This record gives sequence, structure tokens and C-alpha cells, in this order.
Amino acid sequence: MRPKVWMPAGLWLVGWRYLARHRWQSLLMVLGIALGVAVMVAIDLANASASRAFELSTEAVVGRATHQIRGGPEGMDEEIYVRLRRAGLGIPLAPVVSETVFSETLGNRPLQLLGVDAFAEAPFRSYVSAGGALPVESLSTFFLQPRTVLLLGETAERYGLGVGDRFRVEVAGRQTEMVIAGLLDPPDALTRRALDGVLLADIATAQEVTGRLGRLDSIDLIVTEGQTAVLMQAAGMLPAGTRLGPVAERSQAVEQMTAAFQLNLSALSLLALVVGLFLIYNTMTFSVVQRRELFGTLRCLGTTRREVFWMVLSEGVTVGVLGAALGMLLGVWMGRQTVGMVTQTINDLYFATTVREVGVPAASLVKGGVVGVLATTAAALLPAWEAASVAPRLALSRSGLESKARRAVVWTALAGIGAMLLGVAAFQLPGNGILTGFGGLTAVLVGFALLAAISLVGLMRGAAPLLGRLSGFLGQMAPRNLVNALSRTSVAVAALMVAVAVTIGMTLMIDSFRHTVQVWLASTLMGDVYVSVPSTTGTTPMTALDPQVVETARSWPGVERMYVTRSTILDGEQGNVHVSAMDNPGIENERYYQALFVPRGQLWSAMQAGSVAVSEPLARRLGLMEAGAVLRLNTRQGWAAFPVAAVFYDYASSEGSLLMSRGVYQRYWADESVTALDLRLGAGVEADGWARELQSALGGQQRLLVRSNQTLRADVLAVFDRTFAITLALRLLATVVAFIGVLNTLLLLQFEKQREVGILRALGLSGGQLWKLVMLETGLMGMTAGLLAMPTGYALALVLVYVINQRSFGWTLQLDIRPEAFLTAFGWALLAALLAGILPAYRLGRMPAAEVIRYE
Amino acid sequence: MRRWWLLVMIVAVLGVWLGLRPRTVQTAQGGLVGLPANPAGFAQAEPGRTFTFPRDHGPHPEFQTEWWYYTGNLKTEDGREFGYQLTFFRRGLAALTEIPERASAWADGQVYMAHLALSDVGAGGFSAFERFSRGGAGLAGAQGEPGFAVWLEDWRVEQVGEGRYNMNARAGEVSLALTLEDSQGPVLQGEEGFSRKGHGQGNASYYISQTRLRTAGTVGVGGETFAVMGESWMDHEFSTSALGEGQVGWDWFALQLSDGSELMLFSLRHADDPQKTVYSGTLIRPDGSTRVLGREDFSLEATDTWRSPHSGAEYPSGWVVRLPEEGVELRIEPKIADQELRLSFVYWEGAVRVSGSRYGQPLSGQGYVELTGYASSMQGQF
Repeated sequence: MRPKVWMPAGLWLVGWRYLARHRWQSLLMVLGIALGVAVMVAIDLANASASRAFELSTEAVVGRATHQIRGGPEGMDEEIYVRLRRAGLGIPLAPVVSETVFSETLGNRPLQLLGVDAFAEAPFRSYVSAGGALPVESLSTFFLQPRTVLLLGETAERYGLGVGDRFRVEVAGRQTEMVIAGLLDPPDALTRRALDGVLLADIATAQEVTGRLGRLDSIDLIVTEGQTAVLMQAAGMLPAGTRLGPVAERSQAVEQMTAAFQLNLSALSLLALVVGLFLIYNTMTFSVVQRRELFGTLRCLGTTRREVFWMVLSEGVTVGVLGAALGMLLGVWMGRQTVGMVTQTINDLYFATTVREVGVPAASLVKGGVVGVLATTAAALLPAWEAASVAPRLALSRSGLESKARRAVVWTALAGIGAMLLGVAAFQLPGNGILTGFGGLTAVLVGFALLAAISLVGLMRGAAPLLGRLSGFLGQMAPRNLVNALSRTSVAVAALMVAVAVTIGMTLMIDSFRHTVQVWLASTLMGDVYVSVPSTTGTTPMTALDPQVVETARSWPGVERMYVTRSTILDGEQGNVHVSAMDNPGIENERYYQALFVPRGQLWSAMQAGSVAVSEPLARRLGLMEAGAVLRLNTRQGWAAFPVAAVFYDYASSEGSLLMSRGVYQRYWADESVTALDLRLGAGVEADGWARELQSALGGQQRLLVRSNQTLRADVLAVFDRTFAITLALRLLATVVAFIGVLNTLLLLQFEKQREVGILRALGLSGGQLWKLVMLETGLMGMTAGLLAMPTGYALALVLVYVINQRSFGWTLQLDIRPEAFLTAFGWALLAALLAGILPAYRLGRMPAAEVIRYE
Repeated sequence: MRRWWLLVMIVAVLGVWLGLRPRTVQTAQGGLVGLPANPAGFAQAEPGRTFTFPRDHGPHPEFQTEWWYYTGNLKTEDGREFGYQLTFFRRGLAALTEIPERASAWADGQVYMAHLALSDVGAGGFSAFERFSRGGAGLAGAQGEPGFAVWLEDWRVEQVGEGRYNMNARAGEVSLALTLEDSQGPVLQGEEGFSRKGHGQGNASYYISQTRLRTAGTVGVGGETFAVMGESWMDHEFSTSALGEGQVGWDWFALQLSDGSELMLFSLRHADDPQKTVYSGTLIRPDGSTRVLGREDFSLEATDTWRSPHSGAEYPSGWVVRLPEEGVELRIEPKIADQELRLSFVYWEGAVRVSGSRYGQPLSGQGYVELTGYASSMQGQF
């Protein structure tokens, strides 16, 4: 049933016919909104996929466990599990040994080697039931034979493997051969996805392959509500250095880490939509202005204000629905391209996901669609209201809106300044939230956008005399034309300005970031050659080096000094903490410190006495920025307090990390492992060649990364650039939408000026002059947008560097302003505007003057 | 005896993998297809083995299958009766020669299963529990020296002195904490511990019992704990053999009589030919001397039946046993009708009361009976 209260059926047709007649205009509107929605859907999809991949990767390991017992860096003694089992707690318990491994045979990717005890598994991991279909021989092989694993049938098939086949796996840098004991065939798709990246092994096999004999990584528990007594009993049986906690605790911590990254992407993805909204608003306003006569007539014929309002709004909604639908389709396609980039970044920065294929989450689509339609509707509200407010009597006064718009210029500007102040105020809000940060950022951006009108008027008034002298009457005409159509030109300028400003802001931020990282690398990487085991993530390598490797490297000719580092994750009172325990007494001179709580030159001795240095992100996250701060860690002797002696700048992770003296670490955790070597060579040794020699000498023992200082620096920057690749794509898309906006605006202006142009042509304006006029107009719009974008972009960069980055990731960046960023962006604005002028100019030029005048 | 468990063990392994308790034979059959028929490399039971204790109370991994079977009748001071069963099964996944050297303590190639059941005669209640574990890492296992022990997690029987054992097990609301004392020493069943189960070669097991273990301790059920005293019976068997053709199940009796003697009897039922049923038994006299019983030496007649409302299986439920040469006639009755264990497999194992006479002199007693192959779903399995 048609909603009669809103408007009569005939009016639907009026609106629909209008959209259909102005195909170009409608198409561009739909396209603009579609792109906006698509970008949003794509990023949301990519984010959701990355999260889901993480969940599935976790689920594959955690299953239905509610709690987990975890040990220190070396895991825990398997005896703990046996004791718990033999205590008869009456709750399901399962031991786990898991390790991220790498297989070239299975698609060159990280995989989860998951070692379980099948006898304890049933209550925990659903895919164990997948073993039910296995032949007895497979089970027997799985239990008895070393180096055997179970694999998802599809995975094996994909790489041409079958039962009994051997394949190579790299565990902690060492190549080893595994045998497929059997293939799993779980019934549900979700389990399949989770299992795709899993090598399921018997716990004995996992211990043997990883070399962790006698150790477990975790013990899973299922504890229902009201079994707290059992939980207490179990906790009471655990030795110091182990921790019993809810499973969610750990995955939540990881999700919190990635949340900031994902939120930043989401915010950026909204940008295209926001620019798209300018476009909708602009176009709807146009259509209303064009049809003032029609509305006047309708009103005279008895159509009510409300009906006119709904008519115009329904046009907007129609465009919104079409655009959103198209955007969702486009978004899914774009999302598929993006998900790899997002997952890669998350792998680089946070954790290795072993799951690759995840479905399209319906929520992302729905979210994108709904936001698209709602936003379009909101953007159409003002024009609809404007249309409804046309008094029948004033129908013939075509310039009603324009005079109103010019009157509003000052008020708009004032509102803009107000918005900016509001934004700045938002940054002062306590709590340092990321959301208030983005709220403030939006307010500042909107504030600048609201200045577009006054800037345009001001610039045009200033430019008219100059242009007049340069280009004669056309030079005077073009700026006036723009001011005359202010309500539309200013919006187009604002849209372009926002897109360009964001480009400037992002470029400045990324430049600053890169520069900061370069400076930081130069100060931190003081070694000549670094040795570590390749890691499946881009984060700090945590796999232990062969003691043999360490000794070989130490005595290798050319080595003057060697420092060793043990990087690991320790259990802190406020969650996991990344720790690097090293033996470099010169550490004080090899970092930049934000705060030093001990006298200069005393840091190393303080660290040897048990103090630690924390990175800026960690200090911010855990509130350790003040002198006297203390960090509590779960050691093998129980909880111990470590005073914070210094806060250093660090951009290696947003989780933050902690530096500790190796002596202290060994005292508390009795762990001799080494994960990285920092070699200082004698004078005159060429590091790259030397590193290659060492690499080939050590290669036989363990696969290693032997990198010269220079190579390592380049590698770190490569990861950095990869991280920001996606933002580049997003900025580009926002600019495309803005371009569509400008193009649309100009096309509309052209419609409006048909008669005017016809008369000009009749009066003798040549085709060339017409081109010149149009190009002048668009050029002026582009220039205005470009000029206004400069301060806006600068302001955005400040906000991004000092507010958003710090709040999201805890990093302080050194602002590094390069003038090229401004010039390039200005060039883009001008170019986009000029390009957008080509089609309108071409169409106007081809219009025969006589016909145009006869038009009425 | 009870070689039926041979199959159970394999199915149980599969049961674990299925993540559920297989109640139907369809599952079991599915799993049994493709079983290696020839347990290559395992030792076979041969006559003439010399036993050394306590070492031979411990495990014999060179044989494929082994079990330690504890049953007992207990009573509180005011006469409330309980029956209990605690059984440990071991199965080697491969012969020792076939098991590769492994560095991890978790890989020892053995699988353990255990059943715990309690019959609360006074209240008419019965509950049964089942557990699985791998051998290795100390989770489950057995040892003969220096003292005997067998355990699966916290279910454990352990020697604490000469002929003295502690038994502890808990599951749900059922718990056992008992001390068992053997004053007469192990009894070698069959021919000096070699017990024939059929006509085929190697179709036999080594069979050792402790037929009268004085028992005291506590039994917990339904949140209450009872101090109890009574007598237990222990069977320990190990073997490597495939099932005889056409065998569908068996009836097994362990009876402790008031004159100080004990009687072990079993019949291995054949599917279609009652003539092929194997009868065997041992009479243990109060002085510890034994007499091996063959099919001519005793008769076993079922006098009543009980149909399980749960599984639908119909079990014999009441017997008359005659040993003509000993002048013995015994009537055997279950203390509770429903002592059916519905675990990976469905069978009946329960406390029984014995009354009767020897040469006219009244005789009483108690014991345990095991009935397998009656659950309808198991037809055709043996």
C-alpha cells in the first residue's frame, strides 16, 4: 500500500520522471553514494574478516575452553597437568602444545601445529569428532608414529597430498618432515575453515617436533558457573609463574590491540561516504533549485508542503537505495581485494592468523547499506525542506535560494569556526578516547568545510579584477558566475577541499611517521649485523636460536662484540607484556628516551639491579609515565615488582615492550634462550658481504635471518610502507568521489546556464571562448578548494599526529612538514576540477545557439 | 575370561574420537571393520608360565590386552549393603617391537579404560562411570614393582604393604576409599594360571585372582559417606588373541562362600550351537588348594530373567549352580535387578546373594556376576 499520508501516487511519478530525465545527474549521484558505501563495506568486510580469521584461528586452538592455565616463556611442566588430572577435580582438562609453523608445501604460509591429547579432547575442540571417520590404521599411526599429523582433507587435496605422504614443515627455523596419518573431514563449514590452517598432532608428536619435551603451552579447562571452588582448588595447585585465567582474557587483549588499527581504517573508510554526502546534498539542492517553478505550480494546484517535502526526500531515498545496493556489490568485490592487505598488516603488527578463507559477514553488508541509505536521506532533508518551503507566490523568483545562500555565508562561516572550536574542545576531554579524537577530527574538518563558501566569495572578489585584466570580460564573468551559484559551487568546493585536505593531512602524517621511524631506527639499530630466526609475523622474533648458532656467531672472524637478546611474552598484572632481555650495557645511548627516572649514565646499572625500561606505547597503556611507577610480572618465584627506570620511544609495536637486563631475566625466569644476536664488527668489515658469509655458514643448523644493519632497516621500512598501502587506496577513492562531485556540479551548472550560454553564443561568443569560460570557472573552484585544503590539511596532520596516533597506538611522532605535500595536493585539486570541466564544456560547445534559445 | 573387552578397547578408542559415547553397535561395527586381524608381534599365552609376585601383578605390555578387575560386597555396621566394581583395562596399540622409540613421555603406545560402578543395595540405586586415558606421562598406567599399582588419573589401586592395597576412585557423587587385604595370596586360575578360552591355539589368557580381599573403608554416594566393611575379589588377566568364531557373550560368576571357599565359573556362549558353549571354573578351597572345573563338573541353570527398561536387553536374573562331586547346590540372586552398565558398551555386572547347601549343610555367600552379549544391539557381534 502506498503511504497515502505522505503524498499522492502521482507525485511519485513526478519525482521518478525527474530522476529518469536527468540520467547523468542521477547516475553520478548513484555512483557517488555507491562508491562511498562500497569503500565502507569493503573496509568493514576486511576488518570483520581479519577479526573472524583471528577468532577462528583462536577457536581452532581454544575450542570450548572457558579457562586456561598458561606458563611462563618456556611453557609449563607437563607434571602440572598430570597432578591436576590425578587430583580428580571433576572438570574437563586438556593439555595443549601449539606452535606457529611454516610450510612451503602447504601454500607457503603460517600454520598452527596443534598438539593435543585425543583422550582429553572431546569436550573441547569440535573438530576432534572429525576423527571419528578415520580408519583405525590412521589413528594407530597418529598415536604411535613420530612426526605424524592429521590434516583437513581439502587442504591436503589442494596441495596434492594424501595419507602417507610426506611434506616439509619449518619449525623454529628448522626444516623437518611430517607424514600425513589421516585426513579430517568435519561436517560443518566453520570447522573446515578453522582447520584449514591447522596441523593436528598428537601431543607427544608436538612436543618432539617443537623440542619442548616435558613442557606444555597451556592447559584448557571447562568450568561452569558456580564451580569457583574447583577453580580455586586448581589455582591452588599451580606453581609460581603459571596463571589460571579466563580464555577470553587473552583473545580480548589481542582484539583490543587490533581494535585501534581497525577503528582507524573504519574512520578513513567513512571519508569516502562523507564526501559522497556532499555530492548528494549538492545534487539534491540543484534539483530543487531547478524545479522551483514546478514546486510553485504544484503548490498552487493544492499540493501541500508535506507532500512536496516527501516527494523530494523520496527522490533522495531512491538514489540512496540504488547507490547503497550497488555499493554493497562493489564493496564485496573491493573487500576481497582489501582483506589481504588488512590481514597482512595485522600479521605484520600483531599476530599470525592461520585462517585465510572467511565468508562475507552479512552484518558488514547490512551496516554499509543502512548507513548509505540513512546518510543519503539525511543529506536530502535540507533540500527537501527547502523545496517544501517554496511559497507559491514566489515560485517565479528563481534566485530565492541564491540570495538566501549569500546571506547565510557569514553565518555558515561562523558555524564553521564554532565547529572547529568544538573539535578542539573535544580533544581536551578527559579520557584520551580514540572516539572523542575522531569526533574532534570530524568537527575540525566540518568546520573548515563550512568556510568553503566565505573563502569562495572572498577569493572570487579578490580574483575578479586580476582575472579581468588577464582575460577580459570572461575573466570577470567566471568568478561572478561562481558566486551567483554559491549554494552549489560552495558545496562542490567543500567536497573537493575535504578530499584534498585529507590527502594532505594523511600524507603529512605518514611522512612524519616514516621520518620518525627512520630517525628511531638510526638510533636503535647500532649493531652491524643482526641474526634471528624468521618469524611468521613481522613482530619481534621470539623463536630461540640454536645455542650452536650463538657460539658459532660469537667466534666468527670479524666479530668485535656480540650482544644477545631474549624476546618473549611475559604474564603481567595487566595482561601480557612483550619483553626483550638483553646484555648491552650501552643501551642508554642506543635509544631515545622520553623520560629517564634515574640519573644520566645510570640506566644500565639500574637495570642490572632489577629496573626496567618501558616503551612509550606500553607506558601509556599501563600508565607508567611517572617516576616511581612499578610493573608487576609473574615470575617463576611468584609475582615480582619491577621499577620503571625509563620510558623510551619505540615504534616496533603498538602493544609496547619492555627492556630488561638479561641477568635479571635469567634470575627470575631461569631461561637461557637467545632469540636475536646483535653483532658489532671490527672497523673496515663490509657488513653485507660478511652477513652473507655468516648466513651460509650457519644455514645448515637452522634457517636464519642474518641481516646487515642496512638490510634490516630496509625491511622494517618495507613493513611500514605495506602498512600504509591501504590508506593510500582509501585516499584515492575519496578523491574520486570528490571528482564525481565536482563533475556533477558543473554539469548541473551547465543545465542551468543553457539559455545564458545560448544568448552569449548568439551574441558572438566563440567556441574557444566558451571553453575558456568553463575552464576558468572550474579552475577557480579547484584553486579555491586547493588553497583552503592547505590549512585544513595541516590542521588534520596536527590532529592525526598528536591526537589520533597517540591515542590509537601510543606513538609520539615528530612532525615532519614537506612543502611538496601541499603543492602536490593543490595540483590534484586543480587537475580534478579542470578534468571535471571537460565534459560540460564539450556539451555546451556543441549546443546550437538557436535551439538553446528556442528551448522555452 | 572377559576377552570381550578386547573389542571394547578398540571401540572405546574410536568412541573417544567420536566425542560421544557410542551406544549402538552400528558405531562399533563401523569401527571394527578393517581391524588388523593378526596382532603381529604380541606374545601369546602358553601353558607353563612361571609367575613372580608382585611383579606379575603389574602390566605385561608384551601382551595386547590386560585388565585388573575389582568387585566387592560391602556393608555398614547397621547392615546397609553396597556392591562396587572398579576395573582397569589396558590395550597396547601395537606390539612393543612395533612401537618406535619416542622422546616424549606421552607416547607409550598404551590405552587405558576404566569403569567404576556402585550398587546401593539398600536404596536400590546403581550408577556407573567410564574413563579413558592414554598410558604415558603418568596419566594412566600400572606397575608391579616395587609395589603393585594400577591407575587412571585419580582412580587408583596401590599396594601399601605386604598384601595390603589402597583403592581410591571418585566420579559424580560416587566415591570409594577402601583398604583391601589379601591374607591367602594370589590364586592361579586354570592350569597354573593358564586359562583356556576356546579350542584355537593361543585362544587363552593368563589369569590370576585374589579371591578374598578383606575390605574396609568408606563409600560415598548421594552426598553421604558410609563406613563399610566386607570382601572384594580381584581378577587380573592378560592375553593376545582374537575372538572365537560365533561367540556371543558370556556369564561369569565370582562367589565367596560362608565355608571359606570361593567359586569362579564362566560359560562362553555360542551363537547358534549350545553344544559349543565353553564351560570352565575353579573351586578354591579354604586351605587355598584349587580344583579346576570343566563342563562335566558343574551345571548352570538360569531360573529367572530381567528385561532392562533402558536397553531392552533380557538378562538371566537368578541361577542354580550344582557341583555334584562336591555335593554343592547354590541359588544365586542379584541384590538389585538393575545393575546394567550403559557405557561404551552395555552389559550387566552386579552384586549377588548366594544361598544353598553342601551335603545338606546350609551354605551362604555373596559375589559378583557379569553378563555380556545380552543387549539386543550386540546380537551378531560375536
